[in-house]
Amino acid sequence: MAETNASEPIIRCHAVNKWFGNFHVLKDVDLDVMPQEVVVIIGPSGSGKSTFIRCINRLEEHQEGQIIVDGIELSHDVRNIAAIRSEIGMVFQQFNLFPHLTVLDNVALAPRYVRRQPRRTAEEIALQLLERVGIPEQARKYPGQLSGGQQQRVAIARALAMQPKIMLFDEPTSALDPEMIKEVLDVMKQLAQSGMTMLVVTHEMGFAREVADRIVLFDEGRIVEMGTPEHFFTNPQHERTKLFLSQIL
Amino acid sequence: MRGPYTDPSVYVAPSEAPPSRRPPITSVGPLGWLRANLFSSKINSAATILMGALVVWFLWGFLSWSVRSAQWGVIYHNLRLVTSGLYDRREIWRMELVAGILTLLSGLGLGVWGRVSRGVFIAVLVILLILVVVPVLAARVPEPTIYLLVEPQRAPSDFVFVGLRGQEASFAFDPLTDAQDTDERLLGFVENQSRTEWAIRAAEARAGDLDLGQYNLAVTLRLLDRQGKPLTPQAGSAPGDFAGGPAGGTLSYTLPADGWYVLEVRRDDSVNGAAGDNAGYAWIRVQGVETFASQEAAAQARAEQFGAPPAVERALFADENSYRFEGARSVAEFFSLQVAPLFSRIAMPCFVGALLFFNGWVIGVLGKREKAVRRAVLGGWILSAPAILIILRGFEGSRALPLVPTSVWGGLLLTILLTVVGIVASFPLGVALALGRRSELPAIKWTCTLFIETVRGVPLITILFMAKQIVPFFWSALSGLDLTIRMMIGVTLFSAVYLAENVRGGLQIIPHGQIEAARALGLNPPLTMTLIVLPQALRAVIPAIVGQFISLFKDTSLVAVVGLFELVGIVDRIVSGQTIYRPYQREAYIVIAVIYFVISYAMSDVSRRLEQSGAGSIRRL
Ligand SMILES: Nc1ncnc2c1ncn2[C@@H]1O[C@H](COP(=O)(O)OP(=O)(O)OP(=O)(O)O)[C@@H](O)[C@H]1O
Ligand SMILES: [Mg+2]
Repeated sequence: MAETNASEPIIRCHAVNKWFGNFHVLKDVDLDVMPQEVVVIIGPSGSGKSTFIRCINRLEEHQEGQIIVDGIELSHDVRNIAAIRSEIGMVFQQFNLFPHLTVLDNVALAPRYVRRQPRRTAEEIALQLLERVGIPEQARKYPGQLSGGQQQRVAIARALAMQPKIMLFDEPTSALDPEMIKEVLDVMKQLAQSGMTMLVVTHEMGFAREVADRIVLFDEGRIVEMGTPEHFFTNPQHERTKLFLSQIL
Repeated sequence: MRGPYTDPSVYVAPSEAPPSRRPPITSVGPLGWLRANLFSSKINSAATILMGALVVWFLWGFLSWSVRSAQWGVIYHNLRLVTSGLYDRREIWRMELVAGILTLLSGLGLGVWGRVSRGVFIAVLVILLILVVVPVLAARVPEPTIYLLVEPQRAPSDFVFVGLRGQEASFAFDPLTDAQDTDERLLGFVENQSRTEWAIRAAEARAGDLDLGQYNLAVTLRLLDRQGKPLTPQAGSAPGDFAGGPAGGTLSYTLPADGWYVLEVRRDDSVNGAAGDNAGYAWIRVQGVETFASQEAAAQARAEQFGAPPAVERALFADENSYRFEGARSVAEFFSLQVAPLFSRIAMPCFVGALLFFNGWVIGVLGKREKAVRRAVLGGWILSAPAILIILRGFEGSRALPLVPTSVWGGLLLTILLTVVGIVASFPLGVALALGRRSELPAIKWTCTLFIETVRGVPLITILFMAKQIVPFFWSALSGLDLTIRMMIGVTLFSAVYLAENVRGGLQIIPHGQIEAARALGLNPPLTMTLIVLPQALRAVIPAIVGQFISLFKDTSLVAVVGLFELVGIVDRIVSGQTIYRPYQREAYIVIAVIYFVISYAMSDVSRRLEQSGAGSIRRL
């Protein structure tokens, strides 16, 4: 595995194309992400944001173009996929916690069975992570017994347990009540400050403005505009961007 | 200043909440419960009363039959057959050993993995108490009165009994005197006993088609000692023999020594002249002798004490059911005649079993936290299966464990064996078939689908016949396999395909997000399946799977048709093969029903507990 070099992009997407049947979802997407960068992806519904970030850890397969993560190109090679998935953590809109396992087991599961850590070590680390997302006292409960915000924080801890270099967030706050959104965003901000490389699909413009290094606007499967938050919120160029921002703000 | 209530359109609660009060008496406690649940409305009350009356009526009928006239001896005389079929009598200790191993392991398992509710604990204690206390109490119930029936169709039998020195034995000869007497005393008894031949005649007599009415039976009764010599008349006391006619009478005699005696019963044709004239029914009421009340063990003990019982041509022992009538028993007699003998047989095994179970449970609870103990218990369970089969079957030519071929295994042993093997083998097979049917590889998918649909389309009984006849015909390797094992295979395959369909239903309800989350964490497909998908899918279909296992348990009775005697088969053989038990089919099948019910209910109870425990974590070792 290649050593992470601070000046080299950790994710490289070059001319990525993807179809669902005849439907062209991603059209020549080019995006490089630098280590420790926080990239926020916005865009109208159905524009292919989820599909794109799911291609990065190969929950979806792209048909054309190149995706290189941490020096490994995504291909059909099963070993590559396994290696890349353990580098990338992912947080879903619907949490997708494992309902039959306790919170602690949810977090400790992958380290134990993928990294083959002894149970005790894995649980200790899991507890530290739960502390980091602010819910150590819920460790013995089952996901069904937690609020939405707490569940999403467990999901973040679960992804972090594999010590990923990159974190993908697909609308992590969309399924949450307003008062729970903040607690999840706070955890994400703190994560960004600690230097994690993050790709975040979200509609939370406040978060984008405050935390993002770069904002990417998707529309109809392609990148329409890309730039710093300052650029986006003060001086958007593309008509589509202006329209989108006027609807959302 | 304005108070909080002055403006009628604004309401502000006072700053202090009022204190909580107790609920009204009619809504809490047992009375409240009754009101809320059983008598909440007119219709509900009517339904409660109606159903209550039905239940009481049914229970009353059943209990009074059970106490007054049922003969449960058909089961407890044949306990060995019922539990193990024709399993070699001398090797029965192996069955006991196996039962012991299993109870110990169950106790350990419950201690380590289970949470025992107080209810279960109390139930076990109560059962133990009953097992210990009832035989003790039953021993204090006075000896019951025995009635012998003298019938016109048969030469009367001789009654063999044990008497004690100085005791006055009395035999009251009590012929039926008229039609009404017959109707009340004899026909009632006959119907109670459900002896087919008599029941038909009783019905005819009731309808007036048959006249039982000859009421001039005369007999002579004679007391003989063990060698067959008549007892001499005692000085100044009653003679040792008696001639009685239609008026009846009593033979009383103070017995000279401990030991066996015979009451010789002969029809006395000299009284009425013509032999054919001497007819009618009579009871002989026996008092003051030791009745064995159907206790084989007691009879054996007496035989050791006093020598073998005297040989007479048509012996009628006090422990033989065929022509003995206990009258309409009182509750006390029910206990001493029916309950005590059963308990005396099962008390010791139950006691040892409970002790083993309890010890296992204590060890399990204490050792719960120790990894070594948990491992050992699991290992014990895994090892127990082959160990049990080896112990039960033994080896050809071995002296310690001689071979007991599976073809003679029967009764409850075979039922349970078929069930357990069926469950243990069909579970993995069923899961594999379900996964195979969802496989992405068409060859595997189609093979599994074809197999499932084929077996599902055929009745179990056909599969069993195929396993017996057809398959070995095509596939000669199988013809060497013995029948029991072929039946196990048949039952397993049948159960597995239904299980596969249940599991497939469970797999379908797992959201795709679960699999994606597992993939995103880097779990490979096998790990995703075993750690994430299967535990949830199986938990969702526990009720269906257990239902499947319960019907498997009940369906094992079908192996009777291919010539194996599991529980139903062996009981059928007892009641149809042994004349003296023929009248007691009712009792026999009731007991079978109870056995099936208890085991099935236990299984569904376990399933309910499984569903409720935790959120279904796979228990860790
Ligand atoms: N498995 C699939 N098969 C066919 N079409 C799909 C599939 N998944 C997504 N699509 C289509 O691809 C397009 C992009 O979907 P995607 O989920 O990436 O949108 P999105 O930008 O994440 O939208 P949203 O903001 O609503 O989540 C949509 O039109 C969707 O209908
Ligand atoms: Mg989306």
